[in-house]
Amino acid sequence: MPRIPTRTILKAYQHDPLLPLLLRECRSLESAKNELRWLRERALHMVRPASGGERAVTKYPVFGWRGLLRSMCLTRSRGMPLQYILGDQPFGDLDIKCARGVLIPRHETETITIHAANFILDRMLEDQNGNKGEKASLHILDLCTGTGCISLLLHALLSPVFPCLSIVGVDIDDAAIRVARENTERNVRLGLLSKRALSEVSFRRGDVLQCVRSRAAPEDMANIIGPSLHALWSSRCDVIISNPPYVSPAEYHDGTTSRSVRIFEPRRALVPTVNSVLAPVNDNDVQVGDLFYDRIAVLMSRLDAKLAVLECGSRLQAVRVATLCRDVLGRYDRTGKAIVDVWPVTDVDPAAHAVFIQRTRSQ
Amino acid sequence: MLRQIRHLPISRPFPQFLPKRSLSASQLCSEKALPPRLKLSNADITTSYLKGTGPGGQKINKTNSAVQLIHKPTGIVVKSQATRSRSQNEKIARQLLADKVEQLLKGDESRVTLKAERKRKKKASRVKKSRRKYRELEAKGAQKGEEEEEREDLRDEEGEKRGE
Repeated sequence: MPRIPTRTILKAYQHDPLLPLLLRECRSLESAKNELRWLRERALHMVRPASGGERAVTKYPVFGWRGLLRSMCLTRSRGMPLQYILGDQPFGDLDIKCARGVLIPRHETETITIHAANFILDRMLEDQNGNKGEKASLHILDLCTGTGCISLLLHALLSPVFPCLSIVGVDIDDAAIRVARENTERNVRLGLLSKRALSEVSFRRGDVLQCVRSRAAPEDMANIIGPSLHALWSSRCDVIISNPPYVSPAEYHDGTTSRSVRIFEPRRALVPTVNSVLAPVNDNDVQVGDLFYDRIAVLMSRLDAKLAVLECGSRLQAVRVATLCRDVLGRYDRTGKAIVDVWPVTDVDPAAHAVFIQRTRSQ
Repeated sequence: MLRQIRHLPISRPFPQFLPKRSLSASQLCSEKALPPRLKLSNADITTSYLKGTGPGGQKINKTNSAVQLIHKPTGIVVKSQATRSRSQNEKIARQLLADKVEQLLKGDESRVTLKAERKRKKKASRVKKSRRKYRELEAKGAQKGEEEEEREDLRDEEGEKRGE
């Protein structure tokens, strides 16, 4: 990490004495100024709540907003993510609660989710032109959901068009499931989600790696989405969307993963946790990073899903995942055809990519 | 309120006892609605999310939510990083862009120019009023001062006479 020039620090101090603290983590004057503005807005809001609002509960001792702001800046200077300090993160039009132990939703995921929603809508319109009324309902499975952000944003974007939606978010972590449920209620309360979300979006605990281990079992579906929904969906799943842990152990330690992420965010949400019982520990680092994609591809062929959207960490990984999915789908069913697309989220090359796998049934 | 009533058709029975002219002193020009906001088509706009290069996704947690819009036909670039939400920033940037494009297309007829013009006029009238008030006060003060001076002069003259 390049050293911050003294001139910049002095300039920051002249602007605001608290700014050098934020500069330690932000590294650039502009983003530090932005963060200070957001922190100040929140501190003012917490100390003097708007009329009718309750005073927000904080873990910081409150001695007026200046003291609060100072302690927030100090926490931030130690590397604590801004979202954990403020307790929320905007995601699309939604407001997602963030808590320690659950991965913070990223901007890339937001872009991918919006793109996926548009993709689904486009495809649905095409389908409707072909055979009308068949696509009235949609079943979506969101694996490794974390805060539930993808499920909730998809519901917000798709519910005006689909009269019947059913979205299930699966995560291995109990804390994540709790936060995801809270997020549903929170966004409905704020009026950002329709009331339908309460009944149509559900979250349940499930281990994706373990569920798909026994490759021949037809009860996988029930394992993943629960028996009650299994009956409702009648073994039909339209879309699988996932932002699984995709950082390989080497990438986690060699400096590409930032310090703040390593220290404050849960490792299990970033690196596929290799349980010696589940997968043999091998030296092949790349395989460990791609562990989830293999299982999701198997699940996709098992559930007969028509579309899968998978977030990947880099272009190289996306290409690997595309090949892997083609292989797996080709191996498991020979009747269908899979169209695999790699979609770059931004123009910058090393940034996150998404893999879209579309299956067409040849009859 | 009176102004609203004034706009009701005169044939209505009840407002007939009211005078036909407005009682309020505010300018009538503020009643004229501004021209509607320009709607930009999505095809003309290039949206980009600004952030540093390097790895993204799960590996780094960026707080930068800046949105940059480019209007392709005119080449105007606007940027917004007001809020933490990208969708909010995009809305703000769109508004800015629409204003700028309109200003370029319509010039003096555009919404922004009209608004600025109104604001300028209001301020000018306020300044004028305050200046008038202070001029009057000053004039009054000066008059009083002169009178007092005259009185003092008289007193001095009287004293001199007595001294003789």
